[in-house]
Amino acid sequence: MAPAKAPAGHFSILYFAAASTFTGKTGEHLPAPVRARGLFALLEERYPGIKDKVLSSCALTVNLEYVDVGEDDAEDADRQIGEGDEVAIIPPVSSG
Amino acid sequence: MSTTEPPTYNPSIPSDPITKTTPTIHVELTPHNLDTLSATRFVRSPSAGATVLFIGTTRDSFANQPVSSLSYTSYAPLAISTLYRIANEILTKHACTKIAIVHKLGECPIGEESIVIAVSAPHRQAAWRAGEEALEETKEKAEIWKLERFEGGEGVWRANRDGKMGFRVDGGGGGGEGKGG
Repeated sequence: MAPAKAPAGHFSILYFAAASTFTGKTGEHLPAPVRARGLFALLEERYPGIKDKVLSSCALTVNLEYVDVGEDDAEDADRQIGEGDEVAIIPPVSSG
Repeated sequence: MSTTEPPTYNPSIPSDPITKTTPTIHVELTPHNLDTLSATRFVRSPSAGATVLFIGTTRDSFANQPVSSLSYTSYAPLAISTLYRIANEILTKHACTKIAIVHKLGECPIGEESIVIAVSAPHRQAAWRAGEEALEETKEKAEIWKLERFEGGEGVWRANRDGKMGFRVDGGGGGGEGKGG
């Protein structure tokens, strides 16, 4: 179920639903560390257009906990994503 | 910026059910057909005079467009913990006896069960309310995604939040809108 362990100096990122469709991947490994607030900009560089079309409606988890990086004064604004962390892009959900 | 090859992560359809169970709570994500009777049996109790069972089944249309197939994916470790937290909160809030929430993963043929919620309580009013609230909370929060494929081949990731049709799978990702279902 979990992705292959990230190699040294990297973290894992998982893409679900629309994020998976847009990137064409279910996940990958990216170099760590990264500021959580900078992650969406980094993904926009790799996948132009993803910010407006997908990420703007997505939440972010790090190691199964939601991280709030939306505003300048957000609680987790200075959070770092480190080596070995598991990050996930969470689009709007649709169970039921 | 350098990256490694994508990991061999499989999005998500486990071959066996993923569960978390205590004496009063059972939550499950399963690739198998949902078993309404086993959910009902789990919540049965001598101290409960009422059991409410909700069965959600997949519909054959969305905003008047015929749906040909559906499938569900999940971030299973997070979804299980979210379902467990919802179940625990509902039990406490409505003083229920037991609760089971079971959701399907993978392909779900039209007309078949995609979610089953069973709640038992000493009296019927609490069980009705708890069942409804458990469903609404699950639809709002559980990290599970529905892919609807329409006749003609187009697929769309639904979003419960706003009732919109969501993100198109074919054609590069414009967001179509439909009326909420």
